[in-house]
Amino acid sequence: MRDKAYRNITIFFFLLPALMLFVGVLIYPILMSGYYSLFDMRSIRLNGTEAFGLGNYKELLLGIGTEAKKVGFLTLNLPTFGSINFWKALGNSLLLAALSVFLQLPLALGLALMLGKGIKGERTFLSIYFMPVLISTVVIGQLWRKIYNPDYGILNAVLELLGKEDAAHTVMPQGGWLGNVKSAIWCVFIPTLWQYVGYHMLLMYAGVRSVSPELREAAKLDGATDAQVDWYVVIPCIKNILRVSVIFAVTGSLKSFDLIYVLTEGGPYHATEVPSTLMISMLFLRNRYGMGSTIAVLLILLCFAFALIISAAFKEREYYGRKKHV
Amino acid sequence: MKLKKVAATLLASAMILSMAACGTNTGSGSGSGSGSSSTDLTKEKITLNMWCIATESDSNRHSYEEAIKEMKAEYPDITLNWEAFENQSYKTKIKAAVAADELPDIFFTWSCAFLGDFVKADKVYCLDDAYQAYKSELPEVMLGNSTYDGKHYGVPLTMNIVGLFANMDLLKQAGYNEIPGSYTEFIACCDALKAKGIIPFGCAGSETWCVTEYLESVIEKSVGADALNDIFLGRATWNNSEVGAAVDTFQKMVNDGYFDPNGISLKNDEVKANFMAGKYAFYMNGTWNCADFANDANFFPKVKVAEFPVINADKAKLGQLIGGPSDTLAVAKSSKNAAAAAKYTFELGKKICHYGYLDGCGLPAWNPYGDTSSVNGLTQEVSKICAAADSYVLFGDTAMNADEANIYLDYVAQVYGCQIDGAGFIKGLSKDIR
Repeated sequence: MRDKAYRNITIFFFLLPALMLFVGVLIYPILMSGYYSLFDMRSIRLNGTEAFGLGNYKELLLGIGTEAKKVGFLTLNLPTFGSINFWKALGNSLLLAALSVFLQLPLALGLALMLGKGIKGERTFLSIYFMPVLISTVVIGQLWRKIYNPDYGILNAVLELLGKEDAAHTVMPQGGWLGNVKSAIWCVFIPTLWQYVGYHMLLMYAGVRSVSPELREAAKLDGATDAQVDWYVVIPCIKNILRVSVIFAVTGSLKSFDLIYVLTEGGPYHATEVPSTLMISMLFLRNRYGMGSTIAVLLILLCFAFALIISAAFKEREYYGRKKHV
Repeated sequence: MKLKKVAATLLASAMILSMAACGTNTGSGSGSGSGSSSTDLTKEKITLNMWCIATESDSNRHSYEEAIKEMKAEYPDITLNWEAFENQSYKTKIKAAVAADELPDIFFTWSCAFLGDFVKADKVYCLDDAYQAYKSELPEVMLGNSTYDGKHYGVPLTMNIVGLFANMDLLKQAGYNEIPGSYTEFIACCDALKAKGIIPFGCAGSETWCVTEYLESVIEKSVGADALNDIFLGRATWNNSEVGAAVDTFQKMVNDGYFDPNGISLKNDEVKANFMAGKYAFYMNGTWNCADFANDANFFPKVKVAEFPVINADKAKLGQLIGGPSDTLAVAKSSKNAAAAAKYTFELGKKICHYGYLDGCGLPAWNPYGDTSSVNGLTQEVSKICAAADSYVLFGDTAMNADEANIYLDYVAQVYGCQIDGAGFIKGLSKDIR
């Protein structure tokens, strides 16, 4: 009994430094952000005169008032959000998350399955696909800015090579690829998705390589094609990795910031705004520290909620999967 | 009103002084122009840290390097460690440093509301005592934008205005040998340029402050400097139909195809490069660009600078300019050597101003000294414009506090992108800016 207590105390002391680091670096700032989010804090420090309450949350989620707007045949009193449209920013992030899950991850999985078969030059392809992950996001941003440049960009040049005469005037939207409200969002998402295909591919590749060769061989002996082996054997075996990839892709999309900031800073006219760019704008451009903290808190809650939902979704599939075989 | 006129006259006098100094050699060499350089800054060896935005690619870099070199020679007991950061990221860094109480001893800042936030947070050292030794060299009117509750908190460096730069080669192709002086002629010139296939204006929509250089000039020359100044300083509401009409005038220029349609997605560096490469006939931006234009031997002979023409002569007149002293050095209240740092900052500021003026980075906030005959012709033209100035309206995003400035920039971007018209602009701003 005494030994057990002694052992527990020892474990506690060994864990204490890591615990202190965890609390100090992660938990405490989150709690402080939650605290600051309750104040209408417009100067660097709290001075005791700020309004206290849920005002920031109300302004962010419900707007600053209502305005009669025509929706089809109806005239509705809809909320107006002034210069802080959080829903628009969140919508953009969710669109990016959807594209990430339904475009980026299948592409990464396809590449991982292909390379996992041990094709010639496997290592070289692996390095090439992973390279964008290693390059600084700022460099990638600058690179893509040059690609989209309306005057000398490679994109217009390629379109002209493909037969689109005077692409800058005939194909490129008014204002340029990054300057047009409709095209900017897609132009920002393409490099964002492209950059992390290699990251997810590497995760999945490690999973594919860890699948026992005996399982593949057994399936082959039963007459399964390569596609059937991948679908019925390999993918179910790497489901845990797929779950991790989906969580990373969705939470990463919600937190996406750097590339969007370098390419458009959330513009034009907030067309590419995401919660993180809005948060930076509040904190460091508009000095609305309370509102910035509110967005930070909501981002944390959203990421946490999505991680739980995704984990639950994968668990459910596991249950039905087992039931099917009973 | 009377005070403003006095201030404007003093500013103009300072500019005349700077002009008068052009081409003269007072014989004081590279040293400072007064005896204050001999001021004892400290009796012991100290180290001061400084942050600024004079990065390698910044046109002010050379003036900082030269000034610091001189300071090190004159004050060997003071070690200055300085770091330069990119403009946009510096705004974030300096605010974070203020919040964490980790300001360096000396730091670069923009005057008015930007520095005002730090002063309000009680993070900036008052420079009133140190200023007494420099009164004769630095006119008090130049400290106006960094004075809060009657106390001085900043050392101004150079001052700049918005200039209308023109590529005269392109104007000649359209049949103009000079920049048109009246608005009617100016619009006719733009039409003539368009007919020749030349884009009249380049403006970087992806950096909204560049759009304000155009829009504020159009508003000022439509409604007058006093009306615009009152709005910027919160003494009048944005709900002013004349401002709305001026915004419509600007938007008509956009809709008439006077601006590069791709400008919305471009950065200022890209637009400036296009202007220097001969893509646009006009480029309206800060007069700090004179340095870069003067450094390009091929482009410099082609470029001229002028004031934007008057649109409504009943309200506005020539000599009403956008700009003023904004680039400033300040001292942290938390500095262990704040008193010595304050004196050092005045000495350093004077030298940065001197070399900045010689390089063409702006007009001197300090009385010029030494041989200034090497100042480029473009900067001398700017001096003449300022010498004839009637009043100055500081850049809107500097005059307003951070929150209001960004709401304002948001609406300006929407005007440039034709998302809203003049009525939407004034309605939105009067609703969102309390």
